[in-house]
Amino acid sequence: MMSLAKGKLNTPYTVHSINTTQDDLRQFLFTLGCYPGERVTIISKLPANYIINIKDARYSIDEDLANAIMI
Amino acid sequence: MKIALAGNPNSGKTTLFNAITGRVEHVGNWPGVTVEKKEGDVKQNLNPKKENLTVVDLPGAYSMSPYTSEESITREFVLTEKPDVIINIVDTANLNRSLFFTTQLLELGIPVVIALNKSDLTETKGITIDIQGLSDALKCPVIKTVATASVNNGLPELIDAAITVGKSGRKQVSPKISGAQNAADEQQAAKADEKRYAFVNEIAAEVERRKLSSEQQTVQDSVDRIIAHKWLGIPIFAAVIWFVFSVSQTWVGPWFADTFVGWIDLLYESVAELLGEDVNPVISALLLDGIIGGVGAVIGFLPLIMVLFFCLALLEDCGYMARVAVIMDRFLKKVGLSGRSIIPMVVGTGCGIPGVMATRTIKNERQRRTTAMLATFMPCGAKLPIIALFAGVFFGDNSWVGTSMYFLGIIVIIFGALIVRKITGDYSQSYFIMELPEYRFPSIKRAVISMLMRAKAFIVKAGTIILVCNAAVQILQTFDWELQVVAESAPETSILAGIATPLAILFIPLGFGLWQFAAAAVTGFIAKENVVGTLAVCFGITNFIDTEELALVGSGAEVSSVFGITAVAGLSYLVFNLFTPPCFAAIGAMNSELESRKWLAGAIAFQLGTGYVLAFLVYQIGTFMTTGSVGEGFAGGFIAVAAIVAAVVYLMNKGGKQTETVAEMGSAKI
Repeated sequence: MMSLAKGKLNTPYTVHSINTTQDDLRQFLFTLGCYPGERVTIISKLPANYIINIKDARYSIDEDLANAIMI
Repeated sequence: MKIALAGNPNSGKTTLFNAITGRVEHVGNWPGVTVEKKEGDVKQNLNPKKENLTVVDLPGAYSMSPYTSEESITREFVLTEKPDVIINIVDTANLNRSLFFTTQLLELGIPVVIALNKSDLTETKGITIDIQGLSDALKCPVIKTVATASVNNGLPELIDAAITVGKSGRKQVSPKISGAQNAADEQQAAKADEKRYAFVNEIAAEVERRKLSSEQQTVQDSVDRIIAHKWLGIPIFAAVIWFVFSVSQTWVGPWFADTFVGWIDLLYESVAELLGEDVNPVISALLLDGIIGGVGAVIGFLPLIMVLFFCLALLEDCGYMARVAVIMDRFLKKVGLSGRSIIPMVVGTGCGIPGVMATRTIKNERQRRTTAMLATFMPCGAKLPIIALFAGVFFGDNSWVGTSMYFLGIIVIIFGALIVRKITGDYSQSYFIMELPEYRFPSIKRAVISMLMRAKAFIVKAGTIILVCNAAVQILQTFDWELQVVAESAPETSILAGIATPLAILFIPLGFGLWQFAAAAVTGFIAKENVVGTLAVCFGITNFIDTEELALVGSGAEVSSVFGITAVAGLSYLVFNLFTPPCFAAIGAMNSELESRKWLAGAIAFQLGTGYVLAFLVYQIGTFMTTGSVGEGFAGGFIAVAAIVAAVVYLMNKGGKQTETVAEMGSAKI
């Protein structure tokens, strides 16, 4: 298990858990389809941001969030 | 019959709403444009039987469990207002995620019709969706729609289906997923949601076929890497803004403006001729100089503003704005905001009121309030005539004036955010996540509509508030305190001069200690366009942008000599008007979004202080650089500025103590 921030580009990973104390954030990510068992792929690494693919949509997330998503 | 439009952000709800109702609500190719519900009646050609159909456009939501306040609006409306039908807009390219919200809507018992929107993308993306299979699985009609198309867009079928299910009187049957929305506790709710997604995954696997995986790299991803590049991102953004300003203020705008000003001149002359010589000079001055001159001065800038709005609409439509949020996130995070804060600022370039309202998409309360109090530092449409006037009069129409005001706005926001964070002592962080819309070719038609709507609002405002203000200014300037007509040689005896002169003393250190400038700054609080109108009336210049006489195409020398201030003082006055509090309407919006008298008072005080300090710095430093000595009133101004700075520093230190208390109380750093 590692954080998404350490993941490689263009490699489909499976979300293991969301490492946060904020339940509402976990719930929000869930509604986007980012929850244990779902696939996530890093499309681009930008300075301090990652562009990821979850359930056919592109999202930009910051490094803190990339560190909170465990794969 | 009340029909609610609900769906994920950026699925095309407002575009569909506009197409169904004929309204022209603001759309943009990015999530979070709509932050409040909007109502409209279905167009006649879609409603041949003349049913009583009201459509309600709701802000985008990913789920019925709201994460941000605008999502709460959608939830509250659906649960309490109980619409007769819900049209659930589903993005064809994003079926799987969209259906999660759909399953929640289906459980409410309200008849649902699914609009499978953006279905024109299926070919380009190699997506096939089994419409009948989807309809059977969800037990509701599914209609393919292309809200952006004018023909074969599926809208007649969609409205027809909505009327049919709405009239049937049958409750919506939901697919069998165990676990309800109102689960007793969070654990149960979480379990129900998991089952919901499992069900959605199953359906998507059955009805959707994709030739291309969405995980594959595309040209758009390559473009993103350039546009949001570490070193290139900001210069590209600066170049885009500069280009937009150049087009609107240097190339295309003035060409339109010349024609426009010709018409205003013609009107002025025709009315003057009609009135003849025998008319009371007060009446003729009120009509010609006050109303036509004042309003004309503002309206004269309309072409420039329209061109600018047209360019901004194109930018919004192509999907670039969401990337701007990504570019700015790392900078804004350092000062305690998030990339999402850029959205209200961008929206605020059109008008500060929706800009302030757009702060609803920000989750963290301090970030939201800070953004609401700082967003109006971005120059709005009403401030553009002031920029255009001073750029024309003092700086030969250089587009760097407008561009630099935008960037100065961003810099002020960054410093302001740092100060607010220090004063509140709230160092909590929030995560940034934003869906990136697909790039698309911007629609000229949509940009034209957006431009015309904003122009209409501008004209309406010019014909109402600004007209009344200019007439009032003209009257106050015409009479003295004994209600006698002021002699032409002694304008300083007028009521207006009497009211504005004490204020003007405060402005001496800023380089514009004349009562005319003070009066214009004050009327500017009613509406920023008034600044130009009031100056026109006060200085008796009935036409600022006459090609022979002045500003936007000429040298502006004549106006600057009438103003009697230096170019540095002109820049100082521009900065003062741009960075003091916005118009009353925007302050009203701030009041409702800040939800706190203390924050509102703090915001207004901060804006007043910022405008004063910036104008002081611009004038005194600029004067020193150009003449080698400081400007008039330096000592008094320095004391005032030092007092403002001292007050801010005191509050910042006080806030620091609060941080420690919060930390002791174990506030989680999120």
